[in-house]
Amino acid sequence: MPTLSQFLIALLQALVLLAVAPLFTGFLRAMRARMHTRCGPSVLQDYRDIVKLLKRQDMQPPAAGFAFRFMPIVMVATLLTITMALPVVTRATPIAGLGDMITVIYLFAVVRFFFSLSGLDSGSSFAGIGASRELTLGVLVEPTLVLSILVAALLAGTTDIGGIGAAISSGHVSSLGAVFLAGVAFAFACYFELGKLPYDMAEAEQELQEGPLTEYSGPSLALLKIAMGLKQLLILAFLFAVFLPFGSATDMGILSVVIGLVVFIIKIAVVALILGVVENSVARARFRLTPRHSWSGLGIASLGFVFYLVGL
Amino acid sequence: MTSFQLLAISLTFSVLATFGSLLSARNERLAIAMSGGGGLLAAVFGCLAGFSVLLGAPAVVDITGPFAFAHFVLRLDALSGLMVLVISALAAVSSIYSFAYVREYEGRGIGAMGFFFNLFIASMVLVVVADNAFWFLVFFEMMSLASYFLVIFDQDEEAVSAGFIYFLVAHAGSVAIMIGFFLMANAAGSLDFSDFRANRPGELAGSIAFVLALIGFGAKAGMIPLHVWLPRAHPAAPSHASALMSGVMIKIGIFGILKVGVDLLGGGVLWWGITVLVLGAISSVLGVIYALAEHDIKRLLAYHSVENIGIIMMGVGTGMIGLAADQPLVAVLGLLAGLYHLVNHAVFKGLLFLGAGAVIYRLHTKDMDKMGGLARTMPWTSACFLIGALAISAIPPLNGFVSEWFTYQALFAAALEGTFLVRFSTPIAATALALTGALAVMCFVKAYGEMFSGMPRSKKAEDSVEAPLPMVAGMLLLAAACIALGLGAPVIVPAMSNVATSVLGMAPVEVADGMIVMPGGTNKAVLSTPLLAVLLIGLVSLPVMISALFAKGRAGHRRAADPWACGYLPDAEMTVTAHSFAQPIRMFFAPLYTTSRNVGKSAQKLGGGIDACVSAARRIEPMFDRLLVTPAIGLVDSAGRRMQMLQGGGLSTYCLYIVAALAALLLITLR
Repeated sequence: MPTLSQFLIALLQALVLLAVAPLFTGFLRAMRARMHTRCGPSVLQDYRDIVKLLKRQDMQPPAAGFAFRFMPIVMVATLLTITMALPVVTRATPIAGLGDMITVIYLFAVVRFFFSLSGLDSGSSFAGIGASRELTLGVLVEPTLVLSILVAALLAGTTDIGGIGAAISSGHVSSLGAVFLAGVAFAFACYFELGKLPYDMAEAEQELQEGPLTEYSGPSLALLKIAMGLKQLLILAFLFAVFLPFGSATDMGILSVVIGLVVFIIKIAVVALILGVVENSVARARFRLTPRHSWSGLGIASLGFVFYLVGL
Repeated sequence: MTSFQLLAISLTFSVLATFGSLLSARNERLAIAMSGGGGLLAAVFGCLAGFSVLLGAPAVVDITGPFAFAHFVLRLDALSGLMVLVISALAAVSSIYSFAYVREYEGRGIGAMGFFFNLFIASMVLVVVADNAFWFLVFFEMMSLASYFLVIFDQDEEAVSAGFIYFLVAHAGSVAIMIGFFLMANAAGSLDFSDFRANRPGELAGSIAFVLALIGFGAKAGMIPLHVWLPRAHPAAPSHASALMSGVMIKIGIFGILKVGVDLLGGGVLWWGITVLVLGAISSVLGVIYALAEHDIKRLLAYHSVENIGIIMMGVGTGMIGLAADQPLVAVLGLLAGLYHLVNHAVFKGLLFLGAGAVIYRLHTKDMDKMGGLARTMPWTSACFLIGALAISAIPPLNGFVSEWFTYQALFAAALEGTFLVRFSTPIAATALALTGALAVMCFVKAYGEMFSGMPRSKKAEDSVEAPLPMVAGMLLLAAACIALGLGAPVIVPAMSNVATSVLGMAPVEVADGMIVMPGGTNKAVLSTPLLAVLLIGLVSLPVMISALFAKGRAGHRRAADPWACGYLPDAEMTVTAHSFAQPIRMFFAPLYTTSRNVGKSAQKLGGGIDACVSAARRIEPMFDRLLVTPAIGLVDSAGRRMQMLQGGGLSTYCLYIVAALAALLLITLR
C-alpha cells in the first residue's frame, strides 16, 4: 500500500497535469495557427473557453439519461486515476499498486466505454456514429499496443511500467532491435489513440460534429475539453514512461525531480512539434481504409516480437 | 455437519422440488412455489457444502450402488467443492428469479419446467462430485437431457431445431468422453477415478484419451469449432435456465478438461496445454466477433459465452503448460486465472441473462432494435445490467478485470521461462486477449446502449415498467457479487490459489499481501483493486468541484434541446441501431464472417456427402480420369486463383508480406 507521501506526490502530479492540460491543447492550437501563417489565439485561449463554458447552462437532449449526464465526471475521474498511476517526472510509478501496464491499458478502456456510451445515450445519430468509430479504433489499436509493450515487458522481466522504463533506460535489455521496433509500433498505436489527423475519426469536427461531444454544452463540455487534453497528455506520458524514460528522476531528490520535470516538458514540446507538422501536412484517412494502417502497426509490433524471439 | 451431510440435505431438497413441482402441475402457483422454494433451499445447502469443503479437508464417501462393476463413489475435493459452490450460488439466484419469471409460462406446463430445472441442477452437482466413470457418464447424460427439455420448452420450430442440434452435439461429445474413459479404465482395471489416478495409461493412450475428452468436454463447453449448438440452444431456453446453462453448465466442460487432463492423467505432455491455450485464444476472438454482429440479445450473450470459455481455457491451458514443464509459478497462476474467471463468468453471465430475461419479460421481444430508453422505465434492471456489462468488459476494478489480469500475468510468466514454442505462443495469446477485450467493450457498449439508452424504439419499450421484485432481487444479488469478487480480490485470490495448488499438487505461490495481489512476488507486478476503487470514487470529487466553482449565477440544468439532426425533426429511426453500430467491425473482419456462414453450411454438406458416397459407389466411370486428371486440373486452376488473391494491389499488404518473409527468414536462420 502507498505511504502518505507517495499518495500526496501522486495527487500533486494529477492536479498539475489536470491544470496544464488546456495549456497543452492551447499550445497545439497556437502552433497550428503559426504553421498556417495565421496569427491565431494565444496559448491561454483554451482556459478562457473553458471558463466561459463553465458559466453557461447545462443542456441535454430529452432522450439522454444518467450515462450522458455523468460521463464527463467519470471520464475526468478515471483519467486522474491513470495520472496517479503513471510515472511522469519520476522513473518509478508514484503509487505501486496501480502502475501495471495491463491496469493502465484497461483504465483507458473505462474512458472509452463511458465516452462511447454517452454517444449512444444522447440519442443523436452523429454521436452514435462517433461512438461506434471510437470503439472500432480501440479494436484496431489495442492488439498493437499490447503486443509491443509486451515485448518490452518480456525483455525487462516485469509488467510494471516503471520497471520496464528502468530496464530500458539502463540498457539492461538483451535485444535493442526488438525494443526499437516495439517502440515504433507503440508510438504508432499511441498516435492512433491521440485522435489527430489523419486518424481523427471519432470526434471528427467537419464530418461528425465532434462525434460523442455533439450534444454536450456548458460545464459538461468544459470538463470534456479538459479531459480530452488530459487524455492526450497521458498517452504521451505512457509512451515516454515505457520507451523514452531517459532523463526522468530516479530518486526523490529535489534536483533530479526538477531535471525530470524539465526533461518531460522538453519531450512534450518536441512531440507537440512533430504532431503539429504531421497533422498539418496530411489529409484525413478514409475510415474504411484505416485497418490497412493499423495492420501495418501490428506488422511492426510482430516484427519486434520476432526480433525478441531470436534475440536481435 | 460434514460437507457430505450438507450435500445430502441439498440433494434431498432438490428431489423434493423436482417431484413436488411435477406432482403439483395442476396447480401452477403451487408448482412455482415448490420448484423455486425447494430449489432455493437446495442451493443454500449446496453453497454451505461447497464452502465447508473449501475451508476444510476433501472427503470421499463410498455407497454400495446397485451395480457390482461401478461403485457409487462421491468425492468432494477443492475443485468439486468450488464447482458445487458456483452451481449452487447461481441456482439460488435463478430460483429466486423464477418466482416471478416463470409466471410468463402459465398454462404451458410449469410443473414440467420445475421438474427439468431442478433435475438439471441436481445432475450438475452430482457430475462434479461423482468419482466413478460410470456414474459420471450417467449424471452427465442426465444433465444433457434435462437441459435439452428446457431448450425445447417453447415448442416452436426454432427451439425444436436448436434442441435437435444440441442433442446431437451433446451425444457425440458423450461418446468421445466415454471412449476416453474406457481407454483409461483399460490401464486402471476399474471404473473408479481413484484407480485412474493410481494407474495412468502410457503416453500414447493417455494422449488419445485426452484428445477425446477435449473434444467431448470442449463440445459441452462450446469452444470453437464445436460451438455451433450454443448460440442456438441457449437463447431458446427460458432465461433463468439460459443463465444456468451459460453460467454453469458449460463450465462442466472446463471442469471435465481439468479433471481428465490434470487430475486423472496428471498433466501429461506439453502440447496438451498448448492445444488448450490455442483453442482458447481462437474461441475468445471469434466468439466476441460473432457476438458483435448479433442484434438478438440472448444470442449475443450466448456468443459471449464462447468468448469467455476461450479466456478460461487460456488460463487452464497455461496452467497445464506449467504442470507439464514443472514450473509451479506458471501452473498455479494459469489455473488460478482460469478458475477465477470461471467463477466470475458464472456471476456476470448469469446476471446478464437474468437482465435480458427481465427486459424480455416486459417487452416480449429479443430484438435489441425494438428496445431503447429502458433506463428510465426499468432503472434497477438497467443498473444491474450495466454492472454486468462493465464486469464482462473487464473494466477495473470489477471482477472480470481481476481474472483477465491474472490471465495476462500467467501468460507473461509462461512466456518468460518456457520452451521456444511456449515463448512463441503465449504472447500471441495475450495479444488475442487484448483484441478480445477491446471487442467486448464495443459489444457491451452496444448491448447496453441499444437496450437502455437513447430513445425508445417501440411502443412496448415506451410503456414498459420495472421488473417484479423477485427478479430485481436476483439481479441485485449477482451485481453485488460482481463488485465483491472484484474489490475482494485480495481475499479471493488466495482462496483460488489454494484450489489451484491442491488440484495441481504443487507448492503454493505468493499471490496476495494485505490489500494487493501479485503474480508470485512484488517485483513483477502488483494490483490493488480496493485502492483503485477508492481512487476512482474519490477523484470524482475533483470534476464536481470544478463544476461547482462556477455554478454561481449559472442557469439550472435543462433537458429540452432536441439532438442535432441537420435541421430535421429528430426521431428514433435516425439513431444508430444494433446493426449499424457494429457495421465497421463486420466490414473490417469480413473474411471471418463468411467462415461462420460456412460452418453452418458444413452440417448440410455432411449430409450431402453421405448421399454422394452412396451414388459414387453405384457409378462406373473411367476411374483414372476422374481420380487423377480432373482433380489435377482443378488443383492447378484453384491454385492459380488463390495466387491471384495475393496480389491485392494494396501497398500495406505488400509491406506485410515483406515483414512476414523477413520474420520467417529470421526464424529459419537463427533457430
